[in-house]
Amino acid sequence: MPENRSATVMLVDDEPMVATALRSFLELETAWRILTFSNPLRALDALRSHEVDVLVTDFMMPGLDGVMFLRQAREIQPLASRVLLTGYADKTNAIRAINEAGLYYYLQKPWDNEQLKMVIRNGIERTTLFRELDRRVAALDGAHRELHELRRKLIRTFL
Amino acid sequence: MSDDRLTEVVNAARLATLGTLVAGVAHELNTPLGAINSNHDVLRRALGRLQNILADDVVDETELAEVRRIVRALDDIMVVNDLAVDRLNQLVSSLRSFGRPDRAERDFVDIHEGIESAIAILGHELKGRIEVVRDYGDLPVIECFPNELNQVFMNLLVNASQAIADRGTITVRTRGAENGIAVEIEDDGNGIAPENLDRIFEPGFTTRGSRIGMGMGLAIARQIVDRHTGRITVRSTPGVGTAFTVWLPVRLG
Repeated sequence: MPENRSATVMLVDDEPMVATALRSFLELETAWRILTFSNPLRALDALRSHEVDVLVTDFMMPGLDGVMFLRQAREIQPLASRVLLTGYADKTNAIRAINEAGLYYYLQKPWDNEQLKMVIRNGIERTTLFRELDRRVAALDGAHRELHELRRKLIRTFL
Repeated sequence: MSDDRLTEVVNAARLATLGTLVAGVAHELNTPLGAINSNHDVLRRALGRLQNILADDVVDETELAEVRRIVRALDDIMVVNDLAVDRLNQLVSSLRSFGRPDRAERDFVDIHEGIESAIAILGHELKGRIEVVRDYGDLPVIECFPNELNQVFMNLLVNASQAIADRGTITVRTRGAENGIAVEIEDDGNGIAPENLDRIFEPGFTTRGSRIGMGMGLAIARQIVDRHTGRITVRSTPGVGTAFTVWLPVRLG
């Protein structure tokens, strides 16, 4: 399957060694644009100015916990697929993340590169489809409004 | 309590503390190990690609660009692996200096070493939540039972971190004082109610539920400090925080 060339993946982990290891792998294996952040607040800033397809984040980070981060990220870019990559095998927080932040996938550290790549690729696919759906719905809305307007004009002209 | 019995209780408590800390340490190991694990996989892939490129003994422009890309990735990997290996070494040496089965039971030590190993082992509890401020003085080495004192510092640090509900600061101060040294561990957590202040060193006294082994931390800390002919004192204001001060003589009697 050809990689989606325009896809952007954001990696957020307060451990630069984790973020860098993930980036090395993804840059070698894919053509995706990779953004890495060790500070969740900076990552939120970047989300306001860059369209991101998949967001991969650790659970606990100084300044903002992972679930809070994902919730805020969802408000900024609701269509980006959100993946939690964490070493905390903590059921309560996993459930919190799924329920409160609309999590797309939950991965555990240490991670398997091949699985991670597959999850991100599927996330990109999912986000692309959602965006396409949004565009189609917007086009339909536009056409619907146009039809409405034409109908109104017709009635005004002929009746 | 007899000396033998005390050693038994202290050893049991050390095991219990380490038991609860093992999960935390495992997590601390997980980060560098995860990075090395991933990098090892990338190395294997990179090697495969390089072998493919070299297989026909001809390297064209496209392949050259690919080689450059791979070399960049390998560069990143080296940096991360250096960091990861350093981290693993530090963790292992903290664990070793905390437990120290190889060291004499009674020894002359720099007390900061034990404090630092306890902080490092607690890293998982503190990380992202609690800032540790170190205000260390210039101290003489003191004669003590290092493994036991490490247990005291660990217990006080665990208590301090548990007293902080969300985010906060733990300040560790060390000073030379009256033919001895003083270590103060202060938190800006919940504080202790005045009516409980007299009871906190009683064995089994706890405000945190009734599991077996709960409420032994401070009682054991005091037993160990007594054995060193030292003193442990507390001051606390509910809602503001708590400070424990341990005074220890330079030489054991």
